[in-house]
Amino acid sequence: MAQHKVNYTQDGGLPVALTSIDKIVNWGRSNSLWALTYGLACCGIEMMASGASRFDFDRFGTIFRASPRQADVMIVAGTLTKKHAEFIKRLYDQMTEPRWVISMGSCANTGGMFNTYATVQGCDRIIPVDLYLPGCAPRPETLQYGVMLLQKKIRANKAGNAQKAKRLM
Amino acid sequence: MRAYKPKDNVQAKAYYTDRFYVAPQVPKTAVEEDAVFAADLAAIKAKFAVKEAYIQVEQMVIYINACDIYGVLELMRDELAYTQLSEMSAIDWLAKDNSFEIFYQMLSMTKRKRIRVKYFIQKGEAVDSVEKLFRSADWSEREMFDMFGIEANNHPFMKRILMPYDWEGYPLLKSYPLEGDEFAAWYEVDKIYGKEARDIIGPELRDTARVDSYDSERFARLGHEVPKGTKITGDEPAVSQSYQEEDGVFLIKKLDKESSVIIDDPQR
Amino acid sequence: MAQVKNRLTPFFENITFERDDNELVLNFGPQHPSAHGQLRLMLHLQQEQIVKAHPDIGYLHRGMEKMAENMIYNEFMPTTDRMDYIASSSNNYGFALAVEKLIGLEVPRRAKVIRMLLLEINRLMSHLFWLATTALDIGAMTVFLFAFREREYLMDIIEGYCGARLTHAAIRIGGVPLDLQDGFLHQLRVFLNKLPQNIKDYEDLLDSNRIWLMRMEEVGVISTEMALSWGCTGPMLRASGVAWDIRKEEPYELYDEVEFNVPYSDKGDNYARYRIYMEEMRESAKILYQCIEMYEKCEKDGQTELMAHAPKYISAPKIDIMTQNYSLMQHFVLVTQGMRPPVGEVYVPTESPKGELGFYINSQGDPYPYRLKLRAPSFWHTGILTDLLPGHYIPDVVSIIGTTNIVFGEVDR
Repeated sequence: MAQHKVNYTQDGGLPVALTSIDKIVNWGRSNSLWALTYGLACCGIEMMASGASRFDFDRFGTIFRASPRQADVMIVAGTLTKKHAEFIKRLYDQMTEPRWVISMGSCANTGGMFNTYATVQGCDRIIPVDLYLPGCAPRPETLQYGVMLLQKKIRANKAGNAQKAKRLM
Repeated sequence: MRAYKPKDNVQAKAYYTDRFYVAPQVPKTAVEEDAVFAADLAAIKAKFAVKEAYIQVEQMVIYINACDIYGVLELMRDELAYTQLSEMSAIDWLAKDNSFEIFYQMLSMTKRKRIRVKYFIQKGEAVDSVEKLFRSADWSEREMFDMFGIEANNHPFMKRILMPYDWEGYPLLKSYPLEGDEFAAWYEVDKIYGKEARDIIGPELRDTARVDSYDSERFARLGHEVPKGTKITGDEPAVSQSYQEEDGVFLIKKLDKESSVIIDDPQR
Repeated sequence: MAQVKNRLTPFFENITFERDDNELVLNFGPQHPSAHGQLRLMLHLQQEQIVKAHPDIGYLHRGMEKMAENMIYNEFMPTTDRMDYIASSSNNYGFALAVEKLIGLEVPRRAKVIRMLLLEINRLMSHLFWLATTALDIGAMTVFLFAFREREYLMDIIEGYCGARLTHAAIRIGGVPLDLQDGFLHQLRVFLNKLPQNIKDYEDLLDSNRIWLMRMEEVGVISTEMALSWGCTGPMLRASGVAWDIRKEEPYELYDEVEFNVPYSDKGDNYARYRIYMEEMRESAKILYQCIEMYEKCEKDGQTELMAHAPKYISAPKIDIMTQNYSLMQHFVLVTQGMRPPVGEVYVPTESPKGELGFYINSQGDPYPYRLKLRAPSFWHTGILTDLLPGHYIPDVVSIIGTTNIVFGEVDR
């Protein structure tokens, strides 16, 4: 049996790193935010542009997934109409916890310019929202900044604690 | 007392119109001025009654009887080479004389001409479907039914197309407000959470000019945000913008035995 | 956290999936990455073959026609952006042209040239986007990245002009609000000079790619009769053997002064449509070169007017508003009350990148249109799926939806 010649406590330290569970879990969570491809309208095009060659979302660890079951963050990109409202709830329920929601663009925030009979006046009437991005449509830079803010928010949380209910319903 | 508002047309109206203002007309010209249109009109007139015909903005408009529509379009498609139905829909004249005006926008690619065929129906009457002639009318007629409640006879699938099947009301009627009625306002809440959730979720905020004093105060304090509900004093500490590089994952890379603590009590 | 409660019944409660006749019902959408938006398809399957298709739309119905009835004409302009949001300016243009025809306005030549530049840039953007997404759906990630790279160049040029990447609102009733910025023509020329090589790159990747050919050739064949009957226009119709381009047949703006070809094919399959999009990009580039020359000629001739002169309908130039009392009053009335077009109706078709984009306006002399009907090409290009999909297999659905190039802002309006 070979003998260890290296004294780890003195030369270069142990080949292990210690940290708190909170930090390491949040580090993992915040750096691999897999987003649901949920392009509803115009903002969806900007969301695609963020994922494409120039803005390159992959370097944030943000990879678009087509299934809500594989996604951590739902980017509601576009107008939510009354006909579609039940599906956003279904998709949100299908996402595994912990889950976050970014409401992208004026339409998803408040209904925006579509102050009409067919438009839900803000997707936060249906699901809890963590981050609202202004703009019509927000630029890809805005979405990137939003994702960075969300990462910050995740890092500030206690990882072990269950997420608090974000709304009474 | 509230001001009386007419119920039959709740769309936006000009708040001021000069008493002596006479709206000009888009010029109409006689059909005879265009040889192609004149020939088409003669062919249609030979078989069907044409109430009125004129040319407006380079396109011929003809008014026919509602019962003739299938025959007229069949004639136009098969003999006059109007092979495409570009568009069809209705105009709501219920407030004026309780009728709908239906228009069909026809295109002939060989003649490079467009004709608009129009007729009136009374409220409650149905139109004849032209879905057998032009498949595009399948969806157009469904859309017309969805938006105006005008049904089409002999249509294979007369159901709503744009609004959900359980929707109430016909959105493009002039009596339907832009922001929807009571049913529309609570549609998604009722459907997803049930009526008892209305109190918790609250009514829709539709006032586009609404400015919340709390929000506007906070806009002036970017970087000095406080939790919602706290009183703003004006000397809030700056909230530092930290990024992963600065305040990232806490790692111990060199273990110092002297300063380490052994935790005996896991419940500490 | 426990599952958040809701009252939704199971979605497929009323649908029998496995039936005695061995038919399977497959639900596709409304959230599906390759549905190009919010399309929901109910597909009846015999094994993998579709026997009945039922497209369900309306998930993006935002009530634009209703909005138009409650807005003054200029107010409605930004709303048209959100119809075909991949080529916003072409919608702006369609609406502006319809109102101009209604009130009988003649637009200054320089504005016309700028409009044509914007329209063709939008066409290129739309076609590049189409290529990117369709290739992505079929699995060609490289083409997606390449085409988006080129699209971003055009986005930058457009952004320099109007300040927005996606929703331009770059065209006004009566002209254009601004002159081209410095460097516009230079940037555009640089882009156009590179474009042939770029298109060749895409074609090198796709044209003889075995997967691409298998997904495209002989798939989704639309016969001429079917295309006409379903009201197909644009590339969908041209791929089915009808060389109908409104720019050529019923020319608007200065399209009768520029030289370009209308590519068409009589195959009617996915591959024919793909070829037509690629050829149209080349034709657009050709038109853009000619527009640049026309613009430079305008500059040389000293034609500086950008808006039509019609004090009843169009505000005076800003310099007049700031210096002349009457222009200021006029501007105030036009902004607060809106213009009042004559009584009458008009249907104006334009060739948007997707097909015939028509605006039907019925005006009763009020500042608000009495009825505005948007004739969006994608509406019927979605409808045709009802007749087109039966007989095809599941994987073909994605490639057929891809080549129809439907945009749901336009389908549902």
